[in-house]
Amino acid sequence: MPADETAGGAGDEASGDGDADPADESQQAPRGWWRRYVFSTDHKTIAKQFLFLGLGFLAVGGFLAMLIRWQLANPGAPFPLVGKLLYGSSGGVISPAAYTALFTMHGTIMIFFAITPILIGAFGNFCIPLLIGARDMVFPRLNLLSFWSMFLSTAILTASFFVPLGAPQAGWTAYPTLSTAIGTPGLGQTLWTVAIYFNGASSIMGAVNYITTVIRLRAPGMGYFQMPLTVWGFWLTSILNALFVPVLAAGMVLLFFDRVFGTQFFIAGTAIRGGGDPILYQHLFWLFGHPEVYILILPAWGIVSDLLSFFARKPAFGYRVTVWSMIAVVVLSSLVYGHHMFVTGMSPMLGESFMLLTMIISVPAVVLFFNWLGTIWRGAMRTTPPMLFALGLVFTFAIGGLTGLFLADIEADVYLHDTYFVVGHFHLIMAAAVLLAAFAGIHYWFPKMFGRMMNGPLGKLHFWLTILPLNVVFCGQLLIGYAGMQRRLYDPSAYEFLRPLLELNRGISHAAFLLGAAQLIFVVNFFWSLARGRKAEPNPWQVGTLEWTVPSPPPHHNFDRIPIVRQGPHELGNPRVIEALGRDWLAQDEEMP
Amino acid sequence: MSARIPHDASVNGHLVDGIFRYIFVATTACFIVVVVVMLVAVVFHRAGRGPAHYTHGKHQVSYVLTALVAAAIFVGVDLVAMRRSADDLRQHFWHFPDRDPAALRVEVTAQQWAWTFRYAGADGRFDTADDVVTLNELHVPVATPIYLKLRSKDVVHSFYLPNFRTKIDAVPGNTTRLWFEAREPGTFEIGCAQHCGVSHYKMRALLFSTSADDFQRWLARAAGDTALRRDTGPPVAIPDVDGWDWES
Repeated sequence: MPADETAGGAGDEASGDGDADPADESQQAPRGWWRRYVFSTDHKTIAKQFLFLGLGFLAVGGFLAMLIRWQLANPGAPFPLVGKLLYGSSGGVISPAAYTALFTMHGTIMIFFAITPILIGAFGNFCIPLLIGARDMVFPRLNLLSFWSMFLSTAILTASFFVPLGAPQAGWTAYPTLSTAIGTPGLGQTLWTVAIYFNGASSIMGAVNYITTVIRLRAPGMGYFQMPLTVWGFWLTSILNALFVPVLAAGMVLLFFDRVFGTQFFIAGTAIRGGGDPILYQHLFWLFGHPEVYILILPAWGIVSDLLSFFARKPAFGYRVTVWSMIAVVVLSSLVYGHHMFVTGMSPMLGESFMLLTMIISVPAVVLFFNWLGTIWRGAMRTTPPMLFALGLVFTFAIGGLTGLFLADIEADVYLHDTYFVVGHFHLIMAAAVLLAAFAGIHYWFPKMFGRMMNGPLGKLHFWLTILPLNVVFCGQLLIGYAGMQRRLYDPSAYEFLRPLLELNRGISHAAFLLGAAQLIFVVNFFWSLARGRKAEPNPWQVGTLEWTVPSPPPHHNFDRIPIVRQGPHELGNPRVIEALGRDWLAQDEEMP
Repeated sequence: MSARIPHDASVNGHLVDGIFRYIFVATTACFIVVVVVMLVAVVFHRAGRGPAHYTHGKHQVSYVLTALVAAAIFVGVDLVAMRRSADDLRQHFWHFPDRDPAALRVEVTAQQWAWTFRYAGADGRFDTADDVVTLNELHVPVATPIYLKLRSKDVVHSFYLPNFRTKIDAVPGNTTRLWFEAREPGTFEIGCAQHCGVSHYKMRALLFSTSADDFQRWLARAAGDTALRRDTGPPVAIPDVDGWDWES
């Protein structure tokens, strides 16, 4: 163990007292049911609330995807089984209006109401205090408010399904002027802007909390470079959230004003170069929207960087280089959003700058891959479910990331823009890679969260039945996009040149149905394990980060004694440790033998 | 099941296909390396085959190797593609035929859910009585630069020519432009690529590329048709969006 891994600790930024004080009320679990399970300020409870909310909406968003794929496989055919229930007036047939609502709500729900609460809300909340050796978040009540803002936001979004003129239909990006009263009259789209606003408020509150907690509450001895990469991922994500979600919120306020109060921020009127500007919204949206991609993928990168090390039983390869690469991505992510607007008639000079900056992201991304592969190389790999999902992320993120280069190149993008190539590309990252990281995280931290193990064989079955159809679906979309099919077409056969693609679209849909059905394995595994899973030991995976030094599940105050950190997070396979202790891992609060 | 890129009917489309191929080869090579290393590690470097090799990857060697790989990607993929595309864009796609008197100028008005095409007519000026106006039909001569300016009446649309490897948004309150050149006669589809409402999928038009003579014959006939439509009453037109001074 080189000395510099333990040097430079944050002893001066120690959190709270060393010992748990039974007299201190803040360290005891509240007794009332409401305070304990509903309006809780305990980060572990809030994490579970976010997890259940996110998984619930993941199911809803997934079901909407099934409806979309049904329409693309069998345009105009009534949806089987529940079709008549959903679309009674058309005998179960999905109408063009219903279809636009479907893809709008699918995107909105998956990004803002499934991935965000699962990855950032649930894992961010659960992991940050436990992994840095803190008793809770630094602002527990802000944490509570963050969850309930999210809850309010989901209630508003859900309500938008049931208002006159129906659910929002302007796409998840809600470009004006389609998203103003000109294109989508009705309360649904207005509720959408309000829901996104409160969703953003929730994210900002969470972000402020996470950033401060990581700065202030790291256990003594834990310098920034002794933090697990998971914590780095959440921390950097929170910085992006705090900086850029307010921009989205501003866009939502202006859009709300345009819809409700008759302002014209985004409405051009009839005069050319007079009135408002719909492109202004696109700037606001993507100034948030591109960092958003990294907001979602950074926690995934962090989690996977740790898991690859833990289950290859090797230290993370080039830890500091990985961290600096993630920081580089954070900086670059705020400078590249213009590539979403290459075909809006953007100035060529601006276009070329965005093109170069976007391509430069490939440099830190390549370094990440290099270090991931370096981590598993010559390891002693345990292919547990968390590890399988982590490896699955590396695979799908490779495809998703590399296809980004096509879209960064203006010349290729002008052809590919707004085709299924884009759909395939961002699903490989935001749906496939991020979701695989979420499954990895759930399998990995389930024992710590709920005190029981998830079923391994079922987890592996779920992995294989997910990764295979998932790649068929999203790589199939890349192919369809290469063949020129635009996004958001209710019935592609309206175009002659797209008719030969029907067979391929059908194939993709069948793979998607399989993918959807395979998630039932996860649902069964999750709930069965919750009730009947094998009781978990404190450290079932034999790794050294701080959450595994406390019981599963941890007590309300997490740590009886605030640990003193002496090791980096990845002290695995050290010959000195093996010889002295007979095991290949060393906890972060243990002395090097 | 087949997914082939639409037939390229344009003079410059092969440049797009070329850069696509280059990025495809380069990224596929990267992908294969990643997958091979992963497979070897997953198959051979497993628990039970001896202890893991203990390293933090902090040697000079690994830093140098990291830098080399990153530099190779940056130069070999990023810079090459950037350079090639910037050249293509500046010399072709962004090199608008402003000073080319032979170029055919057409004003395009997008609206939910149709495309209107306006030719200058005999006087060579737009927004005058002899403009030739068609709905969802764009006729162009082959081997002639076609120079389009686009405006939108309502929401953002995107004018998409799959067979010409190009597209451009039509934005309310703004004028955008696009040029292309057909290298062969034929009938091709024009699509809308930006979600523009419930009937987005129906916002389809046709492009007829014909010989110069056929084009002139069609234009004369279309001028007559447009005049006939005018005779039935004054057209309902939004100023500045249904026809405008080309240079404005």
